[in-house]
Amino acid sequence: MSLEHEQRADLLECLLDMGELLLECGAEISRVEDTLSRVGRAYGASHVDAFVITSLISLSIEFSDLDALTETRRIYSSAGTDFYRLEKINELSRHTCRELIPLPSLRKSLNDISKIKKDDRLIVLGSVLAAGSFAIFFGGSIWDGAVSSVFAVFVCLLQSYLGNTEVSTAASNLMISFLIGIGVGVLCKYATMLHMDKILIGDIMLLIPGLAMTNSVRNMLVGNTISGVVRLTECFVWALALAGGFMTAMLLLDILL
Amino acid sequence: MREAVIQLVTAFVGSLGFALLFGMRRRHLFYASLGGLVSWGIYLGVLELSGNVFFSCLLASMFAMVYSEQMARFRKCPATLFIIIAIIPLVPGSSLYYFMSYAVLGEMETSASYGHQTVIWVLAIAAGISFVTAIHELRSKRNQNPKIS
Repeated sequence: MSLEHEQRADLLECLLDMGELLLECGAEISRVEDTLSRVGRAYGASHVDAFVITSLISLSIEFSDLDALTETRRIYSSAGTDFYRLEKINELSRHTCRELIPLPSLRKSLNDISKIKKDDRLIVLGSVLAAGSFAIFFGGSIWDGAVSSVFAVFVCLLQSYLGNTEVSTAASNLMISFLIGIGVGVLCKYATMLHMDKILIGDIMLLIPGLAMTNSVRNMLVGNTISGVVRLTECFVWALALAGGFMTAMLLLDILL
Repeated sequence: MREAVIQLVTAFVGSLGFALLFGMRRRHLFYASLGGLVSWGIYLGVLELSGNVFFSCLLASMFAMVYSEQMARFRKCPATLFIIIAIIPLVPGSSLYYFMSYAVLGEMETSASYGHQTVIWVLAIAAGISFVTAIHELRSKRNQNPKIS
Protein backbone atom coordinates (compact mmCIF):
# COMPACT_ATOMS: atom_id res chain seq x y z
CA MET A 1 0.00 0.00 0.00
CA SER A 2 1.46 3.34 -0.93
CA LEU A 3 0.26 6.56 0.62
CA GLU A 4 0.09 10.03 -0.85
CA HIS A 5 2.20 12.67 0.83
CA GLU A 6 -0.69 14.22 2.80
CA GLN A 7 -1.77 10.81 3.97
CA ARG A 8 1.73 10.19 5.20
CA ALA A 9 1.51 13.32 7.31
CA ASP A 10 -1.84 12.09 8.65
CA LEU A 11 -0.28 8.76 9.47
CA LEU A 12 2.52 10.45 11.38
CA GLU A 13 -0.07 12.48 13.29
CA CYS A 14 -2.09 9.35 14.10
CA LEU A 15 1.00 7.51 15.27
CA LEU A 16 2.03 10.36 17.55
CA ASP A 17 -1.47 10.47 19.03
CA MET A 18 -1.37 6.75 19.54
CA GLY A 19 1.99 7.01 21.29
CA GLU A 20 0.79 9.84 23.48
CA LEU A 21 -2.33 7.90 24.46
CA LEU A 22 -0.27 4.84 25.30
CA LEU A 23 2.06 6.87 27.51
CA GLU A 24 -0.92 8.53 29.22
CA CYS A 25 -2.36 5.13 30.07
CA GLY A 26 0.88 3.98 31.63
CA ALA A 27 2.27 1.71 28.90
CA GLU A 28 5.91 0.70 29.10
CA ILE A 29 8.36 2.56 26.88
CA SER A 30 9.24 -0.56 24.93
CA ARG A 31 5.57 -1.18 24.16
CA VAL A 32 5.11 2.34 22.80
CA GLU A 33 8.17 2.13 20.57
CA ASP A 34 7.24 -1.34 19.40
CA THR A 35 3.61 -0.44 18.63
CA LEU A 36 4.55 2.70 16.67
CA SER A 37 7.07 0.79 14.55
CA ARG A 38 4.68 -2.03 13.79
CA VAL A 39 1.73 0.17 12.89
CA GLY A 40 3.96 2.46 10.82
CA ARG A 41 5.35 -0.46 8.85
CA ALA A 42 1.87 -1.90 8.40
CA TYR A 43 0.94 1.30 6.57
CA GLY A 44 3.82 0.88 4.18
CA ALA A 45 6.69 2.70 5.82
CA SER A 46 9.97 1.03 4.92
CA HIS A 47 11.62 2.23 8.07
CA VAL A 48 10.28 3.60 11.35
CA ASP A 49 12.43 5.17 14.03
CA ALA A 50 10.65 5.79 17.29
CA PHE A 51 12.45 7.27 20.23
CA VAL A 52 10.27 7.52 23.30
CA ILE A 53 10.94 8.79 26.77
CA THR A 54 8.29 9.62 29.36
CA SER A 55 8.06 13.26 28.31
CA LEU A 56 8.81 13.11 24.59
CA ILE A 57 8.13 11.11 21.45
CA SER A 58 10.34 11.56 18.44
CA LEU A 59 9.16 9.68 15.39
CA SER A 60 10.51 9.33 11.86
CA ILE A 61 8.80 7.37 9.15
CA GLU A 62 10.60 6.68 5.94
CA PHE A 63 9.16 5.32 2.70
CA SER A 64 10.83 3.36 -0.04
CA ASP A 65 10.75 6.35 -2.39
CA LEU A 66 13.08 8.06 0.11
CA ASP A 67 10.37 10.37 1.37
CA ALA A 68 10.81 10.75 5.11
CA LEU A 69 8.82 12.60 7.73
CA THR A 70 9.87 13.43 11.27
CA GLU A 71 8.01 15.01 14.08
CA THR A 72 8.51 15.44 17.78
CA ARG A 73 5.80 15.56 20.39
CA ARG A 74 6.29 16.85 23.89
CA ILE A 75 4.19 14.95 26.44
CA TYR A 76 2.99 17.10 29.30
CA SER A 77 0.55 14.89 31.16
CA SER A 78 2.22 12.80 33.80
CA ALA A 79 1.53 9.13 33.30
CA GLY A 80 -1.51 7.74 35.02
CA THR A 81 -2.67 4.18 34.68
CA ASP A 82 -5.75 3.33 32.66
CA PHE A 83 -6.00 -0.33 31.81
CA TYR A 84 -9.21 -0.03 29.85
CA ARG A 85 -7.86 2.45 27.33
CA LEU A 86 -4.54 0.63 27.21
CA GLU A 87 -6.32 -2.54 26.23
CA LYS A 88 -8.39 -0.67 23.64
CA ILE A 89 -5.35 0.87 21.95
CA ASN A 90 -3.61 -2.45 22.02
CA GLU A 91 -6.57 -4.09 20.30
CA LEU A 92 -6.64 -1.28 17.76
CA SER A 93 -2.96 -1.64 16.93
CA ARG A 94 -3.18 -5.41 16.62
CA HIS A 95 -6.20 -5.03 14.40
CA THR A 96 -4.37 -2.51 12.22
CA CYS A 97 -1.41 -4.81 11.80
CA ARG A 98 -3.63 -7.75 10.86
CA GLU A 99 -5.79 -5.96 8.32
CA LEU A 100 -5.21 -2.36 7.37
CA ILE A 101 -7.99 0.02 8.20
CA PRO A 102 -8.26 3.30 6.28
CA LEU A 103 -6.54 6.24 7.95
CA PRO A 104 -9.74 8.22 8.64
CA SER A 105 -11.22 5.35 10.61
CA LEU A 106 -7.95 4.90 12.51
CA ARG A 107 -8.18 8.59 13.37
CA LYS A 108 -11.78 8.15 14.48
CA SER A 109 -11.00 5.13 16.66
CA LEU A 110 -8.14 7.02 18.31
CA ASN A 111 -10.38 9.99 19.02
CA ASP A 112 -13.03 7.70 20.48
CA ILE A 113 -10.52 6.02 22.76
CA SER A 114 -9.07 9.31 23.92
CA LYS A 115 -12.52 10.45 25.02
CA ILE A 116 -13.16 7.48 27.30
CA LYS A 117 -13.19 8.53 30.94
CA LYS A 118 -12.82 6.33 33.97
CA ASP A 119 -15.88 5.83 36.13
CA ASP A 120 -15.44 8.08 39.19
CA ARG A 121 -17.44 5.78 41.45
CA LEU A 122 -15.12 2.88 40.66
CA ILE A 123 -12.08 5.05 41.39
CA VAL A 124 -13.46 5.95 44.82
CA LEU A 125 -14.43 2.35 45.53
CA GLY A 126 -11.00 1.15 44.44
CA SER A 127 -9.18 3.71 46.59
CA VAL A 128 -11.31 2.88 49.62
CA LEU A 129 -10.67 -0.85 49.24
CA ALA A 130 -6.97 -0.40 48.56
CA ALA A 131 -6.27 2.05 51.40
CA GLY A 132 -8.29 0.06 53.93
CA SER A 133 -6.74 -3.28 53.05
CA PHE A 134 -3.18 -2.04 52.97
CA ALA A 135 -3.52 -0.34 56.35
CA ILE A 136 -4.47 -3.78 57.72
CA PHE A 137 -1.99 -5.61 55.47
CA PHE A 138 0.92 -3.68 56.96
CA GLY A 139 -0.15 -4.54 60.50
CA GLY A 140 -2.93 -2.12 61.40
CA SER A 141 -6.13 -3.02 63.24
CA ILE A 142 -9.54 -3.15 61.62
CA TRP A 143 -10.19 0.38 62.94
CA ASP A 144 -7.02 1.66 61.29
CA GLY A 145 -8.30 0.18 58.05
CA ALA A 146 -11.67 1.87 58.43
CA VAL A 147 -10.16 5.28 59.14
CA SER A 148 -7.72 4.84 56.26
CA SER A 149 -10.66 4.07 53.95
CA VAL A 150 -12.47 7.21 55.01
CA PHE A 151 -9.42 9.34 54.31
CA ALA A 152 -8.97 7.58 50.95
CA VAL A 153 -12.18 9.30 49.82
CA PHE A 154 -10.57 12.65 50.61
CA VAL A 155 -7.43 11.61 48.72
CA CYS A 156 -9.62 10.85 45.70
CA LEU A 157 -11.46 14.15 45.89
CA LEU A 158 -8.24 16.12 46.27
CA GLN A 159 -6.56 14.21 43.46
CA SER A 160 -9.40 14.79 41.05
CA TYR A 161 -9.57 18.46 42.04
CA LEU A 162 -5.82 19.01 41.65
CA GLY A 163 -5.70 16.84 38.54
CA ASN A 164 -7.84 19.38 36.70
CA THR A 165 -5.40 22.17 37.45
CA GLU A 166 -1.86 22.80 36.26
CA VAL A 167 -0.37 21.74 39.59
CA SER A 168 2.57 19.37 39.19
CA THR A 169 2.53 15.89 40.70
CA ALA A 170 5.12 16.85 43.30
CA ALA A 171 3.17 19.91 44.42
CA SER A 172 -0.12 18.02 44.54
CA ASN A 173 1.50 15.21 46.54
CA LEU A 174 2.83 17.82 48.95
CA MET A 175 -0.61 19.39 49.45
CA ILE A 176 -2.55 16.16 49.68
CA SER A 177 -0.15 14.60 52.15
CA PHE A 178 -0.13 17.76 54.25
CA LEU A 179 -3.94 17.86 54.48
CA ILE A 180 -4.25 14.11 55.10
CA GLY A 181 -1.48 14.36 57.69
CA ILE A 182 -3.35 17.12 59.55
CA GLY A 183 -6.61 15.15 59.43
CA VAL A 184 -5.17 11.84 60.59
CA GLY A 185 -2.91 13.54 63.13
CA VAL A 186 -5.76 15.38 64.84
CA LEU A 187 -7.91 12.25 64.88
CA CYS A 188 -5.13 10.13 66.38
CA LYS A 189 -4.47 12.68 69.13
CA TYR A 190 -8.00 12.06 70.46
CA ALA A 191 -8.62 8.46 69.44
CA THR A 192 -5.62 6.81 71.03
CA MET A 193 -6.39 3.26 69.93
CA LEU A 194 -5.56 4.21 66.35
CA HIS A 195 -2.09 3.73 64.86
CA MET A 196 -1.21 6.80 62.90
CA ASP A 197 1.59 5.24 60.85
CA LYS A 198 -0.57 2.34 59.61
CA ILE A 199 -3.42 4.65 58.60
CA LEU A 200 -1.03 6.91 56.74
CA ILE A 201 0.67 3.96 55.01
CA GLY A 202 -2.72 2.78 53.75
CA ASP A 203 -3.47 6.20 52.32
CA ILE A 204 -0.08 6.82 50.83
CA MET A 205 -0.12 3.47 49.06
CA LEU A 206 -2.46 5.46 46.80
CA LEU A 207 0.08 8.25 46.35
CA ILE A 208 3.41 6.58 46.88
CA PRO A 209 5.42 6.00 43.72
CA GLY A 210 6.36 2.44 44.68
CA LEU A 211 4.87 1.06 41.49
CA ALA A 212 6.39 3.76 39.31
CA MET A 213 9.71 3.14 41.04
CA THR A 214 9.55 -0.58 40.32
CA ASN A 215 8.63 0.10 36.70
CA SER A 216 11.46 2.57 36.27
CA VAL A 217 14.00 0.02 37.43
CA ARG A 218 12.36 -2.47 35.10
CA ASN A 219 12.73 0.01 32.23
CA MET A 220 16.43 0.30 32.99
CA LEU A 221 16.90 -3.45 33.08
CA VAL A 222 15.32 -3.91 29.66
CA GLY A 223 17.46 -1.21 28.10
CA ASN A 224 15.38 1.97 28.28
CA THR A 225 17.88 3.56 30.60
CA ILE A 226 17.02 7.21 30.01
CA SER A 227 13.31 6.79 30.74
CA GLY A 228 14.16 4.67 33.73
CA VAL A 229 16.48 7.27 35.19
CA VAL A 230 14.08 10.12 34.49
CA ARG A 231 11.19 8.30 36.12
CA LEU A 232 13.25 7.12 39.08
CA THR A 233 14.38 10.69 39.75
CA GLU A 234 10.77 11.87 39.50
CA CYS A 235 9.80 9.16 41.98
CA PHE A 236 12.34 10.43 44.49
CA VAL A 237 11.03 13.96 44.12
CA TRP A 238 7.43 12.74 44.57
CA ALA A 239 8.39 10.68 47.62
CA LEU A 240 10.22 13.65 49.10
CA ALA A 241 7.18 15.84 48.52
CA LEU A 242 4.99 13.25 50.27
CA ALA A 243 7.37 13.08 53.21
CA GLY A 244 7.59 16.85 53.33
CA GLY A 245 3.81 17.23 53.47
CA PHE A 246 3.28 14.64 56.20
CA MET A 247 6.13 15.83 58.33
CA THR A 248 5.15 19.49 58.10
CA ALA A 249 1.69 18.43 59.27
CA MET A 250 3.18 16.47 62.20
CA LEU A 251 5.46 19.31 63.28
CA LEU A 252 2.61 21.80 63.05
CA LEU A 253 0.36 19.59 65.17
CA ASP A 254 3.13 19.12 67.75
CA ILE A 255 3.37 22.87 68.14
CA LEU A 256 -0.36 23.58 68.12
CA LEU A 257 -1.74 20.74 70.25
CA MET B 1 -0.85 -18.29 60.86
CA ARG B 2 -3.71 -15.94 61.60
CA GLU B 3 -1.51 -13.07 60.50
CA ALA B 4 -0.73 -14.81 57.20
CA VAL B 5 -4.43 -15.34 56.48
CA ILE B 6 -5.20 -11.69 57.21
CA GLN B 7 -2.37 -10.62 54.92
CA LEU B 8 -3.54 -12.88 52.12
CA VAL B 9 -7.12 -11.64 52.34
CA THR B 10 -6.06 -7.99 52.45
CA ALA B 11 -3.58 -8.59 49.61
CA PHE B 12 -6.46 -9.85 47.50
CA VAL B 13 -8.80 -6.98 48.40
CA GLY B 14 -6.02 -4.41 48.07
CA SER B 15 -5.08 -5.69 44.61
CA LEU B 16 -8.74 -5.61 43.67
CA GLY B 17 -8.89 -2.01 44.84
CA PHE B 18 -5.97 -1.04 42.64
CA ALA B 19 -7.42 -2.94 39.69
CA LEU B 20 -10.60 -0.87 40.05
CA LEU B 21 -8.59 2.30 40.49
CA PHE B 22 -6.68 1.59 37.29
CA GLY B 23 -9.88 1.03 35.33
CA MET B 24 -9.49 -2.67 34.67
CA ARG B 25 -12.27 -4.41 32.78
CA ARG B 26 -14.69 -6.29 34.95
CA ARG B 27 -13.97 -9.63 33.34
CA HIS B 28 -10.28 -9.48 34.30
CA LEU B 29 -10.80 -8.31 37.89
CA PHE B 30 -10.87 -11.66 39.65
CA TYR B 31 -7.83 -13.16 37.94
CA ALA B 32 -5.80 -9.99 38.36
CA SER B 33 -6.50 -9.83 42.11
CA LEU B 34 -5.83 -13.54 42.43
CA GLY B 35 -2.35 -12.84 41.04
CA GLY B 36 -1.73 -10.43 43.93
CA LEU B 37 -2.88 -12.99 46.48
CA VAL B 38 -0.80 -15.84 45.09
CA SER B 39 2.37 -13.80 44.67
CA TRP B 40 2.13 -12.70 48.32
CA GLY B 41 1.47 -16.31 49.29
CA ILE B 42 4.63 -17.38 47.48
CA TYR B 43 6.58 -14.62 49.17
CA LEU B 44 5.38 -15.76 52.61
CA GLY B 45 6.02 -19.43 51.83
CA VAL B 46 9.54 -18.93 50.48
CA LEU B 47 10.38 -16.55 53.32
CA GLU B 48 9.32 -19.23 55.80
CA LEU B 49 11.63 -21.78 54.15
CA SER B 50 14.62 -19.63 53.23
CA GLY B 51 14.49 -16.64 55.58
CA ASN B 52 15.83 -14.41 52.80
CA VAL B 53 13.71 -11.40 51.83
CA PHE B 54 15.44 -10.72 48.51
CA PHE B 55 15.17 -14.31 47.36
CA SER B 56 11.52 -14.64 48.41
CA CYS B 57 10.55 -11.43 46.69
CA LEU B 58 12.48 -12.41 43.57
CA LEU B 59 10.68 -15.74 43.32
CA ALA B 60 7.32 -14.12 44.01
CA SER B 61 7.78 -11.55 41.26
CA MET B 62 9.06 -14.20 38.85
CA PHE B 63 5.93 -16.20 39.53
CA ALA B 64 3.80 -13.07 39.10
CA MET B 65 5.31 -12.48 35.66
CA VAL B 66 4.83 -16.07 34.51
CA TYR B 67 1.25 -15.91 35.74
CA SER B 68 0.69 -12.62 33.89
CA GLU B 69 2.13 -13.94 30.64
CA GLN B 70 -0.18 -16.94 30.82
CA MET B 71 -3.18 -14.80 31.69
CA ALA B 72 -2.34 -12.46 28.83
CA ARG B 73 -2.33 -15.39 26.47
CA PHE B 74 -5.61 -16.91 27.68
CA ARG B 75 -7.49 -13.68 28.15
CA LYS B 76 -6.03 -11.89 25.12
CA CYS B 77 -4.80 -8.65 26.62
CA PRO B 78 -1.38 -7.14 27.46
CA ALA B 79 0.53 -8.87 30.26
CA THR B 80 1.23 -5.45 31.80
CA LEU B 81 -2.31 -5.30 33.12
CA PHE B 82 -1.84 -8.41 35.18
CA ILE B 83 1.73 -7.89 36.29
CA ILE B 84 1.05 -4.42 37.69
CA ILE B 85 -1.76 -5.77 39.87
CA ALA B 86 0.09 -8.96 40.82
CA ILE B 87 3.08 -7.09 42.26
CA ILE B 88 1.01 -4.57 44.22
CA PRO B 89 1.32 -6.44 47.55
CA LEU B 90 5.09 -6.71 47.00
CA VAL B 91 5.53 -2.97 46.45
CA PRO B 92 7.46 -1.67 49.47
CA GLY B 93 4.99 1.03 50.50
CA SER B 94 5.58 0.63 54.20
CA SER B 95 9.38 0.64 54.16
CA LEU B 96 9.36 3.63 51.81
CA TYR B 97 7.09 5.40 54.32
CA TYR B 98 9.31 4.66 57.34
CA PHE B 99 12.38 5.56 55.30
CA MET B 100 10.94 9.01 54.61
CA SER B 101 9.51 9.61 58.02
CA TYR B 102 12.71 8.69 59.94
CA ALA B 103 14.75 10.77 57.50
CA VAL B 104 12.62 13.81 58.26
CA LEU B 105 12.81 13.14 62.00
CA GLY B 106 16.61 13.10 61.67
CA GLU B 107 17.06 9.47 62.77
CA MET B 108 19.40 8.68 59.95
CA GLU B 109 20.45 5.18 60.97
CA THR B 110 16.91 3.82 61.20
CA SER B 111 16.02 5.67 58.03
CA ALA B 112 18.99 4.19 56.18
CA SER B 113 18.02 0.66 57.16
CA TYR B 114 14.49 1.20 55.80
CA GLY B 115 15.97 2.79 52.69
CA HIS B 116 18.15 -0.25 52.25
CA GLN B 117 15.09 -2.51 52.57
CA THR B 118 13.19 -0.47 49.99
CA VAL B 119 16.04 -0.79 47.50
CA ILE B 120 16.20 -4.57 48.04
CA TRP B 121 12.46 -4.93 47.39
CA VAL B 122 12.43 -2.73 44.32
CA LEU B 123 15.45 -4.53 42.86
CA ALA B 124 14.05 -7.97 43.58
CA ILE B 125 10.69 -7.18 41.95
CA ALA B 126 12.26 -5.56 38.89
CA ALA B 127 14.86 -8.32 38.48
CA GLY B 128 12.26 -11.07 38.78
CA ILE B 129 10.03 -9.51 36.14
CA SER B 130 12.90 -8.75 33.76
CA PHE B 131 14.30 -12.25 34.08
CA VAL B 132 11.02 -13.87 33.04
CA THR B 133 10.49 -11.29 30.28
CA ALA B 134 13.92 -12.09 28.86
CA ILE B 135 13.20 -15.82 28.79
CA HIS B 136 9.81 -15.19 27.24
CA GLU B 137 11.35 -13.03 24.51
CA LEU B 138 13.99 -15.64 23.73
CA ARG B 139 11.32 -18.27 23.38
CA SER B 140 9.06 -16.21 21.13
CA LYS B 141 12.06 -15.30 18.94
CA ARG B 142 12.88 -18.96 18.56
CA ASN B 143 9.31 -19.71 17.58
CA GLN B 144 9.59 -17.10 14.83
CA ASN B 145 6.26 -15.74 15.80
CA PRO B 146 6.47 -11.96 15.82
CA LYS B 147 3.46 -10.34 17.39
CA ILE B 148 2.43 -7.54 19.68
CA SER B 149 1.87 -9.21 22.99
